[in-house]
Formats: sequence, C-alpha cells, structure tokens
Amino acid sequence: MTSASGSADYLGLANAPILWILAFAVMGVVVVQSLIYMSAVRKNAESAGMSQQEVRSAFRAGGVAAIGPSLSVVLVAIALLPLFGTPPVVVRVGLIGSAATEVASASIAAGTMGANLGDETFTRGVFIVALMAMSLSGAGWMISTLILTPIFKRSSHKLEKVNPALMSIIPGAALLAAFAALTFREIPKSPTHVIAVVVSAIVMTICLFLAKTLKAPWLKEWGLGISLLVGLVAAYFAHYAGLGAPEA
Amino acid sequence: MSDIITAPSHAAFERTTTKWGSITLFIGFLIATSVPFYLLFVADANVDLGNVLTGFLAVFAVYGVFYIVEPLTYFPILGPAGMYQAFLIGNISNKLLPSAIVAQDTIGAKPGTRKGEYAATMAICGAAIIHVASMVIFVGVLGTWLLTLIPEQVTLVAKLYILPAILGGVTVQLIASLRQVKSTLIALAIAALVILVLIPLVPVLAPGDVAIVVIVTIVITWFTRNRAVTDRRTDDGDSVGIN
Repeated sequence: MTSASGSADYLGLANAPILWILAFAVMGVVVVQSLIYMSAVRKNAESAGMSQQEVRSAFRAGGVAAIGPSLSVVLVAIALLPLFGTPPVVVRVGLIGSAATEVASASIAAGTMGANLGDETFTRGVFIVALMAMSLSGAGWMISTLILTPIFKRSSHKLEKVNPALMSIIPGAALLAAFAALTFREIPKSPTHVIAVVVSAIVMTICLFLAKTLKAPWLKEWGLGISLLVGLVAAYFAHYAGLGAPEA
Repeated sequence: MSDIITAPSHAAFERTTTKWGSITLFIGFLIATSVPFYLLFVADANVDLGNVLTGFLAVFAVYGVFYIVEPLTYFPILGPAGMYQAFLIGNISNKLLPSAIVAQDTIGAKPGTRKGEYAATMAICGAAIIHVASMVIFVGVLGTWLLTLIPEQVTLVAKLYILPAILGGVTVQLIASLRQVKSTLIALAIAALVILVLIPLVPVLAPGDVAIVVIVTIVITWFTRNRAVTDRRTDDGDSVGIN
C-alpha cells in the first residue's frame, strides 16, 4: 500500500523479509526458553514436594490467566502497526517493555528531532531514530538484568543463611507492596481509571467468592480475564461519558 | 547434558535456569537490537549517529533509572530463574506476575517457598506460550487485516485502561491468595502514603515510587513479624529453604 503523503514511505522497509525472520526468531527464543524452564521444573518438582499434576495445573493456570492480558496487548499492538510496521511491533511489544513504554519512548525520541508520532513529520529518518532509541532502551533492561541477577542471587543466598525467615517474608510482602503501589498509581490519572480499578476488583471478588462457594476452581483461572473484560467495558462507557483521561 | 541423570534438586533447577536463562536472554537481546541497526544501514535516511545518540539519551533520561530499579523491585518476587524470563518477555506487571499469582492461588502454593517458585516459573512459561501465540497469530499474521475491523474507540479504550483493569483484579486475587492480613494492610497504607502524598510533594522520587513502597513494606513487615511463628524452621512442608 502506498501512502499519499509519503510520510509512511518507510513502511515497506519496516516490513522487509529479513525483519520478519528476526521477529519470528525472537518469538522462537521465548518459546525455547520456556521449554527449557518447563523441563527444569518437571525434573526437579519432586524436590519441592510438588506433584507432576500440580506442575501441569500451574502451567495451565498461568496460560489461562494470560489470555485476557494478551488479547488487550494485541489490541494495542495492532493499533501501532501503521506507525512502525509489523516486524518492529512484534519485536518491541513482544519482548521486554510494554506497549505503553514503547510508545512513550518513540514519542520522546521523535521529539528530539522535532517530530510527532503519527503525523507528516514522522519521516523515515525519525522512524529509524525512534526505533533505535526504543531498542537501545530495551537493551538497557536486558543487560542490567544479566549483570544484576547473579549479584542479587549471591546476596539473597547470604541473607537466607543469616535468617531463613527473611526469604519467607520478603517475597509475599514485596508482591503485595508492588501491586498496591502499581494500583494506587492509577488512581490520580482520571475518574475512569478509578472506575476500571474498582470494577475489576469487584468482579474478581465475586469470581473468587463463587469459585469457593460453587467449588469451581476454573473461576480462579478465568477470574482475571473476566475482571479485565468487565473492567474495560466499564471504562469504555465511563470514557465516552466524558470521565476519561485527557487525550494524549 | 549431564543434568538429565542427576536426582531432582533445587540446585539442578538453579543451574539449568541460570545457564539457559542468561543465554536465551542474551540471544534475545542480540536479535532485537539488530532490527534497528539493519534499518539504519540499509535505509538511505540521512540519519547520523548524533541523531541516534540524542534520541536514545532523551529516552534514557526518562527510563534509565528503571533499568536498575525494576530488576531490584522484581528480584525478591521472581527469584533468579524468573528474572531471565521476565526481562526477556516484558509485560511483567500486566501479564507475567498476574499469571504467577493466579497459578500459586490455584494450586495453593505460597510465594517465597520452593513450590511457589516452581509454580510461578511454570505459570510464566504458560503465559509466555500464550503471549507468543497471540503476538504471532493476531499481530504478525492477522494484524493488518484486524486493523481494518476493530473500531478506533475500542483500541483507544484498551490502550488507556488496560493496566487499571488488570491491576484491580490481580491485587484482589493476590490478597485473597496470600491471606496475610497484616502485610496487606501495611502494603496498602504505605502505597497510599507514598503514591498519593509523598510523590506529589517530592516529584523527583517518581521513578522509584514502586521500589520505595516495596522496600518500606518489607522493612515494616520484617520488624513487626511474629518471631515465634516465622523464626523457626517449621516442618509443615510449606516453609522456605527445607523442601
């Protein structure tokens, strides 16, 4: 497809066959890593008193819980296709980062060249600089994880020796704190954000209550997808009733 | 592959995941970074390294501190094995951790136990497979076609509100699954205080907001713990470090 303005003349380039190959290769790496990890858990589960049945249940629960979030990320990724082309979107949204981070990074980088995302100032050169900045930034996370993880690991082993209770308290507290903080961070954004949080929380409460009273464990797995969907539907009506965030 | 014949052990699990986790993360980094370099060299685009550097530095100024803060925040939750998964795949707070929480809740394993760690690892693998399938099928193959079908209002709402719509539900499930009333109250109180009061007063701290809440919550939970319960090695099979 040709663009009348010529501003999207880089899209042919962005859809080059070699980039498709790289995009699929990157997704392949994720699959290979998962397969190696799955076999590592399966082989060693016994040492943690975990049955093969529980190993399978955990895998399935994780997969089912990821369906709702994955489909929402897909929606956002699709919206980015006309801007970046398919292979760059798959690589950037499919690897470290999230749609939101990538869009913000692209728009910051474009800004340094006096250009805006999605209008005629977003030329071939701006596109490449933006993609470069997004990629180098993603690389920053990956490299620092490669360097920091062994260091953290040594220190946590030391802490565990000092007091074994430490490692039984820290992960739960850290998890609660992280999600409490992430959730509170949504509140000041707009009334619709508050509605999305509250509706999703209420629907999850109902799902978990029903899972218990009806003895329906599948509701624990599907609860996230259901709360996400109902939360987004509520946000849809709230947003178009004028309670939304100011358009970015 | 001498691991194959060794007896099941946590040490073997850590060896395999550390070795292959870091190798796959490194390969992912190489391939992903080669994409823009390829474009830079083949495109005749009038871009020099100065432009690239300026663009990157502007992004770095915003996100640079997260390269350190995020691994630090998520390490206590993910453990070493999970780190290599999470920072390859991304989407940590909106996809991977929620999956891990759901899986731990489903099989009744607690975070911080070996069983909890294995359940989280399997859950992230399950989430990774769904993630890859959805990216390849719905974005890679069908994306351009789906783009013409989905109304713009719907994508806009998904883009703006995906995170709050996930976080409300996940936080409730996490609280229900952990059943640690005291830690929950501490975490909620600290989060409210830091995010709604401290950050607006001292905006420079904003990039570290989640990390601050995590650290303060850990410290308070630690010093107010019930020592009689936590500081001995129990044999109920759900305590850390023994199984």
